[in-house]
Amino acid sequence: MESTDFDEGDFEFSRNYFLAKESSTSVKRSTHKLSDIDIVDEQELREAVSNIEPKHEKEIDLLIKSYKCLYSKWAFELRAGFGLLLYGFGSKKALIEDFASTTLTGYSVLVINGYLQLINLKQVLITLCELLGDQLKAQRKTPSGSQRSYNALSIDDLIAFLDGPHVDGNECSICVVIHNIDGPGLRDSDSQQYLARIAACSHVRMVASIDNVNAPLLWDKKMVHTQFNWCWHHVPTFSPYKVEGTFYPLILAHGGTTQTVKTATIVLQSLTPNAQSVFKVLAEHQLAHPDDEGFPVNNLYSTCRERFLVSSQVTLNSHLTEFKDHELVKFRKNSDGQDCLYIPLTTEALEKVIEEISQ
Amino acid sequence: MGSIEAEDLQLCQNDENDLQPFFVLHKASNQRIERKSGGKARRRIDLSSSVHDNLDKSDTGEADELEKLRNEAFDCVWSKIKSVIKDALRDINLDVFNEIDRWVHESFDAITSRGKPEFAKVTCSYPIVSDATSKQLFSGLVLTRNMEVVDDLLTFADLGQHLKSHGCHVANLSSSDFSPKNGISGSIRSLLRKFLMVTLDVADISALASWYAEPGNHGNPVVVIIEDLERCCGTVLSDFILMLSEWAVKLPILLILGVATTIDAPRNVLSSNALQCVLPRKFKLRSPSERLDSIIEAVLVRDCSGFNVGQKVATFLRNCFLRQDGTLSSIVRALKMSVIHHFSMEPLSFILKGLLDEDDRQVQFSWKHETLPEAMLSRALDLPSYTKNKLGEPNGEILEQGLLQLRRSQKLWSSVLLCLYEVGKHHKISLLDLYCEALDSELWDTRASDLHSVLDDKLKVPEDIMHMGGSIFQAIRKVRDSSPVALCQLLDSWEALSEGLTEIQEKVKELQCLSKIDDSKNVNRELTNISRRHTSRNYTHTERDAQALNVRAATLIGSMVRDYMQPMECIPFHEILCFKNVDKLQSNITGDPRRRIQADLLESYKFLKCSCCRVNCNTPLPSMHDTSIMYALAQEHGDLINLHDWYQSFKATICLSTKSKQRLKQSPSPKKRKSAVEPQAINGASLQARFCRAVMELQITGLLRMPSKRRPDYVQRVAFGL
Repeated sequence: MESTDFDEGDFEFSRNYFLAKESSTSVKRSTHKLSDIDIVDEQELREAVSNIEPKHEKEIDLLIKSYKCLYSKWAFELRAGFGLLLYGFGSKKALIEDFASTTLTGYSVLVINGYLQLINLKQVLITLCELLGDQLKAQRKTPSGSQRSYNALSIDDLIAFLDGPHVDGNECSICVVIHNIDGPGLRDSDSQQYLARIAACSHVRMVASIDNVNAPLLWDKKMVHTQFNWCWHHVPTFSPYKVEGTFYPLILAHGGTTQTVKTATIVLQSLTPNAQSVFKVLAEHQLAHPDDEGFPVNNLYSTCRERFLVSSQVTLNSHLTEFKDHELVKFRKNSDGQDCLYIPLTTEALEKVIEEISQ
Repeated sequence: MGSIEAEDLQLCQNDENDLQPFFVLHKASNQRIERKSGGKARRRIDLSSSVHDNLDKSDTGEADELEKLRNEAFDCVWSKIKSVIKDALRDINLDVFNEIDRWVHESFDAITSRGKPEFAKVTCSYPIVSDATSKQLFSGLVLTRNMEVVDDLLTFADLGQHLKSHGCHVANLSSSDFSPKNGISGSIRSLLRKFLMVTLDVADISALASWYAEPGNHGNPVVVIIEDLERCCGTVLSDFILMLSEWAVKLPILLILGVATTIDAPRNVLSSNALQCVLPRKFKLRSPSERLDSIIEAVLVRDCSGFNVGQKVATFLRNCFLRQDGTLSSIVRALKMSVIHHFSMEPLSFILKGLLDEDDRQVQFSWKHETLPEAMLSRALDLPSYTKNKLGEPNGEILEQGLLQLRRSQKLWSSVLLCLYEVGKHHKISLLDLYCEALDSELWDTRASDLHSVLDDKLKVPEDIMHMGGSIFQAIRKVRDSSPVALCQLLDSWEALSEGLTEIQEKVKELQCLSKIDDSKNVNRELTNISRRHTSRNYTHTERDAQALNVRAATLIGSMVRDYMQPMECIPFHEILCFKNVDKLQSNITGDPRRRIQADLLESYKFLKCSCCRVNCNTPLPSMHDTSIMYALAQEHGDLINLHDWYQSFKATICLSTKSKQRLKQSPSPKKRKSAVEPQAINGASLQARFCRAVMELQITGLLRMPSKRRPDYVQRVAFGL
């Protein structure tokens, strides 16, 4: 019975996938360009993003408050050796920090912002060890006096310290809170392995959040069952991803051709007039022959020489290197096997660029 | 609203922290430590008096007190279960461990008999090798018969402990120590770390040799356990083995390699050079399903802790193993989660601690119902299982009696189940199947009536049972078909299993007497008629006798099943000991972010419970959460979404009226469209900002793939259907 349910679910999924695939090929794909939208200036857009009026504030507030009654249960699970993994749509940053500061007062709590790009886990480990060291000292379980320096220890030693034995039933633990354990800074397998080893330490409890639907793919069975030991909780909050989204580009500011036009223009304007003219030669050729694979390098040299734009192949090459570095031109071979240059912009975008630099 | 503002304020204050890779939120307050020590002191106080005294105070105090009691009860119950599991797993492999231990010591003797190196040679910092045979490493290949390495971590840790307790130096290494990234130096460093307990900068095996030359360490075998051979990098492991073989005379190292696939694995992984140095010996661990049966038997059937699970939960555990994950670890994890849920959801669960304190065979409690607070008592008397089949006057007495009865029938239930398992062991009927079937209260009802009708007519028993399905009936059938010797052994084991349960044991003994008489008859006949056995009439007579005995045994087990195997869920007050909420367990054990995050977006009104968005949930409404609108709109696209179209439909949804939506479709020019429909209130910038944020949020959830250079105007959908 259950196996048929499972198969149906599977079937449903693949059916949906192929339907979606089919509809995209059978129905003529829309050819509208993003540049057709009258996009406002990036500055203005960013300002508008920060001033978006929140919707359903009251309901979101109530929803988040409704999770408060779960706090004691979460703490119980944490105490029993499970890690808490919160998921569901919406930022869970405020929720977790509220939980940690109201309920986990008995633990020292360290927060890792996984949504940032760069996180040094060794530094995290050192801080964790310092916290644990302070805590143990406060309970006079270690001889007071000499302050241990954790900086010199290796990662293995640091983890071994966190995994030390509990002294006669005395619970002394630190809680590690990780916002977005699936975030860009922690997504690589090495970081996940280290986090798993930290989570498995006897003195460490872990609370983490995930937002990506594919986050479970980060972990193998060993990590899931014996190290992280997750207890999953579905807690959608619908709060905006304010901080978490800071480092994501705005689709209308970077995504379309407008941005490419803008960057291309900025780069070209910073180059010498001769270099700009070389680019123009290339652009004119591309606009005149939109179906060609590109402008052969030799032809470009002779054309530019004729117009007194360059005096030697070396000068032309230095211009081309500059273009290439800024991704203004690309090389490919045409059907005759000649090296060709082309500008990776659409015709409209190219027209706009020429217009801009000719002003 | 207030809290959102407060949150905003907090966000501003925490701005600095938000952009730090990590920060300390707070340090542990001493309050908890004091409270803890208070709790520890209280632990010594008698449970019953503490309940009574402390629960009279105030409501919050009462709740706190009960929570503490539950916490303590959880600690007791789980630590008991944990140790029982550990013991069960160790015991099942004990004979293999002993065999390995014998081999280690024999091999060590063989190594040392090659002649001890002189002291000067031992302390010199280069290896000494005189001939080829002394370069060989004794290697035990332990076949785990299990692809799930995670289940064998504990086995190898136990093996390590076992060998240590028999005087070996042991280091457990895993495949991560043999990664191509760190190379041979990485693996030697981890080896040194395991033995020398410090991290050395230089990976030099001579450090290990001089460590071994120290008086305390010398004279014992050095065992290196590599848990998962197949996952190791072949070249690194080969180098490692070659390196160890160079040092074989100075360092009597033995390898134990965990092999998940077949005995050929070393040949596939190692280089031929390394393979020549390996002197293999095969060992075989028990299979995962045998291990699982032993856990189920020890924890749930033998009822070590008083804690039980309902039929649905048992089926879930079974499915975890058979269909979903295939690991024992997942079952143990699910079991622990069940215990946690039971203690956090069932206020009366603290009674379990009282059950744990009692002697195994004596059904008695260390608590008395008089000590139970009024609220708890009335809760107990309101339990559905009690109200459904009321036994008498609802008072504390009845609860106590009920619990006694519950424990008693549980003991009967488990011994009948074990009797069945005793049959099943030899016929590939797993305990897990029997267990799940025995817990099923619906099956019990039908089975009881089936058995009733067939058992009344004693001659017909086996034939009727023959046609019934299910593991229990299968086991009963096997009793009928078993040979006289097997039946005799079976009866012996039944007798042992029914120890303390007179109603069963007497009947078993009766049958045992009969079988013994039969046996002696057989022996006599065999002595006299040994040559004429095949044709003799006596023989057929004997056969009939034996069969009659089989029928009687089958009838006995059938009636035991009918009379004593009442599933727990049919008995009053079982809720106190039995965890049944399978949905809760499932959602906590395996989160389903892929489905649930999509459902959050598509059914946001269910969570926000607002009045505005519920009208028509099929079409997105402007009042809905922006990202919800966007995701709902995305459902109408194929695998690629044109950003421009998406933006326009988002705009149309936000701008509300359906008329303007129509007009939108008709006028392709963006400028016209803008002037035609855009209301004053929503300006372009804020609309675009909302669009951008919704796309960004969908990107965070991983439901969208961003435009590529090849397709700058399209985003790609990642998930199709819930």
